[in-house]
Amino acid sequence: MSSRLIDIITAGDPAVRNRSLDAFCRTASLTELLDECAALEAFRRASDNLYERVRALFFLYAIHRFHLPPLLSPKEGETPEGLIPYDGYTHLLQRRFEEAIDCFLAVQRAHGPGDSISSALAEAYHRLGFQTLADQVRRSVRSVRGNQWMFRTGHPADHPLRVRRELLQRSAEGLFPVLHEATPVRMDLSHSGWSDIFFLGMDFPEGARVLNVSIDLAVHGRDPAPRPPVEAYLRVIDEPLLRLVSVDLGTVAEITNLAEVFDYARDYLGLLKAAIIAAGIIPPGMEGSGEHLQDLLARLVPSSFSPPAGGTGGGYGLELVSQVNGIPKGSRLAVSTSLLACLIAVCMRATGQTQALTGMLQEHERRLVAARAILGEWLAGSGGGWQDSGGVWPGMKLITGQLAGPDDPEYGISRGRLLPGHHIMGYDEVPVATREHLQNSLVLVHGGMAQDVGPILEMVTEKYLLRSEAEWLGRQKAMRIYDEIVELLRQGNVRGIGDATMRNFFDPIQTIIPWANNLYTTTVIDRVRAAFGDDFWGFWMLGGMSGGGMGFIFDPFRRAEAQERLHTIMLATKRELENALPFAMEPVVYDFAINEQGTVAELRTAAEALMSPGYYTLMVPALLKRERYTLTPARRAELDRFGAACRTAPALSGMMQTLFDRIIPRTDRVDSSQRDLDALLDELGFDHIQHEQIRADLRSGRIGLAQNRLPASTVIEDVYPGDVVNGELCMMDHELRTTDDGLRALREGRVAVVTLAAGVGSRWTHGAGVVKALNPFCQLGGKHRSFIEVHLAKSRRVGRAVGMPIPHIITTSYLTHEPVRDFLARCDNYGYTGPLYLSPGRAVGLRLIPMTRDLRFAWEEMPQQLLDEQAQKVRESLHAALISWAQQMGEGSDYRDNLPQQCLHPVGHWFEIPNLLKNGVLARLLEERPQLEVLMLHNIDTVGVDVDATLLGSHLDSGATMTVEVITRRLEDRGGGLARVDGHLRLIEGLALPQEEAEFKLTYYNSNTMWISIDKLLDLFDLTRADLHDAAKIDAAVRAVAARMPTYITLKDVKKRWGHGQEDVFPVAQFEKLWGDMTALPGMDCRYVVVPRLRGQQLKEPAQLDGWLRDGSAAYVEGLCTWDKG
Amino acid sequence: MPITKAVITAAGRHQRTLPLQTLTDRDGAEKSVLGILVEEALSAGIEEIAVIVAPGDEGPYAAVVGDHAGRLHFIPQMEPRGYGHAIYCAKDFVGAASFLHLVGDHLYVSADTRSCAQQLVAIAEAENCAVSAVQATRESLLPYYGAVGGKRVPGRKDLYEIDTVIEKPTPTEAELRLIVPGLRAGHYLCFFGMHVLTPTVMEILESRIGTAANQHVTLSDALAVLATREKYLALEERALRYDVGVKYGLLNAQLALALSGNDREEILARLVELLATRELRRNA
Repeated sequence: MSSRLIDIITAGDPAVRNRSLDAFCRTASLTELLDECAALEAFRRASDNLYERVRALFFLYAIHRFHLPPLLSPKEGETPEGLIPYDGYTHLLQRRFEEAIDCFLAVQRAHGPGDSISSALAEAYHRLGFQTLADQVRRSVRSVRGNQWMFRTGHPADHPLRVRRELLQRSAEGLFPVLHEATPVRMDLSHSGWSDIFFLGMDFPEGARVLNVSIDLAVHGRDPAPRPPVEAYLRVIDEPLLRLVSVDLGTVAEITNLAEVFDYARDYLGLLKAAIIAAGIIPPGMEGSGEHLQDLLARLVPSSFSPPAGGTGGGYGLELVSQVNGIPKGSRLAVSTSLLACLIAVCMRATGQTQALTGMLQEHERRLVAARAILGEWLAGSGGGWQDSGGVWPGMKLITGQLAGPDDPEYGISRGRLLPGHHIMGYDEVPVATREHLQNSLVLVHGGMAQDVGPILEMVTEKYLLRSEAEWLGRQKAMRIYDEIVELLRQGNVRGIGDATMRNFFDPIQTIIPWANNLYTTTVIDRVRAAFGDDFWGFWMLGGMSGGGMGFIFDPFRRAEAQERLHTIMLATKRELENALPFAMEPVVYDFAINEQGTVAELRTAAEALMSPGYYTLMVPALLKRERYTLTPARRAELDRFGAACRTAPALSGMMQTLFDRIIPRTDRVDSSQRDLDALLDELGFDHIQHEQIRADLRSGRIGLAQNRLPASTVIEDVYPGDVVNGELCMMDHELRTTDDGLRALREGRVAVVTLAAGVGSRWTHGAGVVKALNPFCQLGGKHRSFIEVHLAKSRRVGRAVGMPIPHIITTSYLTHEPVRDFLARCDNYGYTGPLYLSPGRAVGLRLIPMTRDLRFAWEEMPQQLLDEQAQKVRESLHAALISWAQQMGEGSDYRDNLPQQCLHPVGHWFEIPNLLKNGVLARLLEERPQLEVLMLHNIDTVGVDVDATLLGSHLDSGATMTVEVITRRLEDRGGGLARVDGHLRLIEGLALPQEEAEFKLTYYNSNTMWISIDKLLDLFDLTRADLHDAAKIDAAVRAVAARMPTYITLKDVKKRWGHGQEDVFPVAQFEKLWGDMTALPGMDCRYVVVPRLRGQQLKEPAQLDGWLRDGSAAYVEGLCTWDKG
Repeated sequence: MPITKAVITAAGRHQRTLPLQTLTDRDGAEKSVLGILVEEALSAGIEEIAVIVAPGDEGPYAAVVGDHAGRLHFIPQMEPRGYGHAIYCAKDFVGAASFLHLVGDHLYVSADTRSCAQQLVAIAEAENCAVSAVQATRESLLPYYGAVGGKRVPGRKDLYEIDTVIEKPTPTEAELRLIVPGLRAGHYLCFFGMHVLTPTVMEILESRIGTAANQHVTLSDALAVLATREKYLALEERALRYDVGVKYGLLNAQLALALSGNDREEILARLVELLATRELRRNA
């Protein structure tokens, strides 16, 4: 079968091979696209070439995701066909992608193409594409020479490594030497469009180029001088175990069995474990061998070298210590990869895998450390780019992708090698003066934001494979800027570099990934520019996205001033935006210095054989609590030596006080936060009696995840013909009568909008506690816009069109009220001139430690997305750790171990309409607009919804109490839908469905946009407009209806922040009541209308944004908005 | 270039008595370990042998070699400065000629009628270069041996041109630098304890001993340099070698000799009897 897309994929000529898919699809008909899909499907199954297969998969994904849906709108009278089969969905969850695709294609063949099945196919192709790429990287990592043997070693007797003799030479006091490794981190001066992603480097090595600089760091104003940010220590110990210590995370583990070494998420020591394994000390081939760690240690550290003194009798072990010198997470300086590389280097030195025990490494050894770091990242379920171990190399270097040659394991599989080439730029290329000039011009900062760059890296890969036109041109431009920066560096033109990095950020970087920028970064840049004018030479984004680690280049004579000023600007900007964007920490400014050595080790022997002061701060209090005779001889000798050093060594002069403070803490911070929480609960009118009832019910098992479900005997059916009105057709045809009715109602001011904004959008920021409504999620009309601004802009447009401003109510909760109020006050309601009310929530819940029963139900009973092999292991280990956390904290007890705000929760959007009655907002609005009849209620993230005259008219004409907007279901639309439940048409929540698969029978998904007739609703509550001033009557009415609503227990992720930008995510239990259940209330006259997807879809996760921008949804929303000119 | 001289190193301070141990050789005669090694060398046409010993060991060693004593020269290594230094002690003895070298704590059992030394010397004479006997060895044993990397000599299955030599490499180093095409995964060519060395080796050893005062000098370091200076081959041995210096090493070597010699049937019968009696008693 001839196919133009296959011709593109297989073309030898780059001009053809680099053609964009979009260009072809733009003019293709539905039939042509379907024919191409069939050809690509056959081609990808038959092709032996990895990259041809992957590109075909991404083409298929993009056609189903972006190009087919606009051509698949239902015709009049047609009902959508081809529901997503549950079997296919479970195949997807289990990562059986080929089977899932077969299953979805079978439906497509039987029912014809459709939007739903295309969404499922798009997802399956997308995942299979990434899985294929990930598998290839994994194979390459394993096949790197120097790594292969580790996968073959499965028994201690085969272990070929031995600890070097130098580490076994004990001092006269009995101390073992300490091997200390210090490693700089890397900064990327060029940012060549994320070209260091493995997949890119392996397919397009010519374009994979970065200028990478090793640097030492200090936090400005805190540390005396820059030093290598990461350190590792290794020594032999006289106990047959593996002691892992993370000084900065304050965690110690003494490991005595092999299985625990492979249990990465059990504690904070995953990185150290990955290093031990990737360095070959415990080879990956030992996983699951059932062998004993002691046997392995006996082989690795043979006691014949130096018989144990003092009768511990059990042989030797190793202690590995990591330390990050106060550099916060999310610095975009590859701190964690540098630490991993540092740990691997020290382990390799100790076991003779490098020629020199101390000093710098040789080139081939550095390459091996880098390869092992990639292996370690894969083991620990994380991943970075191939330049991230750049700190292992000294100074400035050009890191470039390499074509695979006949001797490489990648040859014949991918065009490029896994590992790039490194060219260290000598002083002849970049003189000392230029290096100093750069150091004197550049201000490095951490803006305070911590974000997940994983989705961004996926987007970059996808756009590269699709050769999307604008992005591909952007990539060419980024490559030219790289050349320019390298040349400017050779010329010593730092001002030019500033100009180039700034152009890079505002042009190619954001062309490829608009999400690399955000309102915080833009604001800080604008303010810096305003403050420094021409002396501000340029902005420079570090790493995957901006907001965390960033660089600002200034004229050197103003650099010192800029460091102070920038700190002030960042702090002020953070204060303004901290409720709108996820910040993990306060912004910091760094001092930095180029490190011209790379990773370096030293051996501390005799009296010098001590660990870092931080190590002793962590370890000594516990050791002092033990009887001296229970300590091993080496430990006793070490404590004696440490004691002596504290008395004499200047570096340890403050140690006594530090230890004292640690043993007897100065203040009890937990107590003070508990007091805050109790005060807050009182202030918010927390209902203790209700809470205790819920807690008791949860503990006794009367409520819980399993109890959310309706009885198994419930019959769930899809809608019958005639159950829904096709609003899509109404809107397309603009039925004259209903539209006229709607327009008249709008002109007469009979409708208001209610935006639900009480929640914090846990999924949007993964529990960061940010107010989603204020999140400036996307650039629309040339500026970053928040959800609230978008909704107001739509109401502004409609209001102006009909000549009557539309009243807007934004519901809030204890979490969101003050931030929303203050934000709106600051921006003058985004210039919205219509009536704007905030409706503060009157209900609050206290989160609970989840029951392990519910955790197991969520993780073991409910269908879960299986992750990639190694990531899945890490997740299972994390789940085990969280179950044990819940048990230790006390199942079903109050969750108080966090900031007070994070311990509370809103109690579901059911309460938000009754709140309008209770808090008097509806009464006030009715006083202002007595003619008001209808409320349009919608979620904050339904950005495509507006007050559509046709739908309003249709609702008014129907005479119903409530009209619910539904959309046809796509794969990602999970959480219930419209169903006949025991014959009764209603909305049903996903967590109430008796079986998971029932959801897949439902054609329509609830968009949660509802048109509500005020008087009929009041009637349902047994109230009238006149009763709206009678608080007691309202309370009684609300309580009566609430009692008829089901209470759901849900698990939500909550972040706990600690240390330097560290975040832990805990699952907590909370309860909620949901408005959709009102449709089940007898007496509720409810109708359902199907609306276009662009109107009804919701933005639940930031990862959806890119598709949303590309599939025309953003343009649709923009077309609905009239922005405030101010 | 006929090779007529051999050097046996037996100066290890902890293994001084090993060459004196008595074993029953394949021909049924009782011989010392040193005696068996001397006969191995003589089988290859060697005429004179230098034995490097710890000072004071000359007398006992001479006593255990019987009729061959006249061919032996005992050279004491005055200070223990390593294996390379021990060989260097024979510099004057070998002069400007290539020589066969054996280690004093290994025994070799050839798989065919020609002895290991015979095969090695024949190759060295034919190729007119240094040759080391090597054996494909599993990576878990790398901590015990020197290992070589190189490529096969065209047309020969058992001969390699050496380009790299590393003493006791880690498997990491081995995978990076010692991969030899045609070997099984995880196997490397490790020294067998038998070499034919050229005078260049003595020159290299001399320079290293001069620069590394009071330090140990390994033969592998010198051979690594040799590989960069002149043609240097490795002959893959199908024979078996036995380290008599390890636990049960002597017993193992004795069994190997006996099972490949005249008394093979008798020894097998005795082993079976031993096992059967022991197991029967245990089960009784």
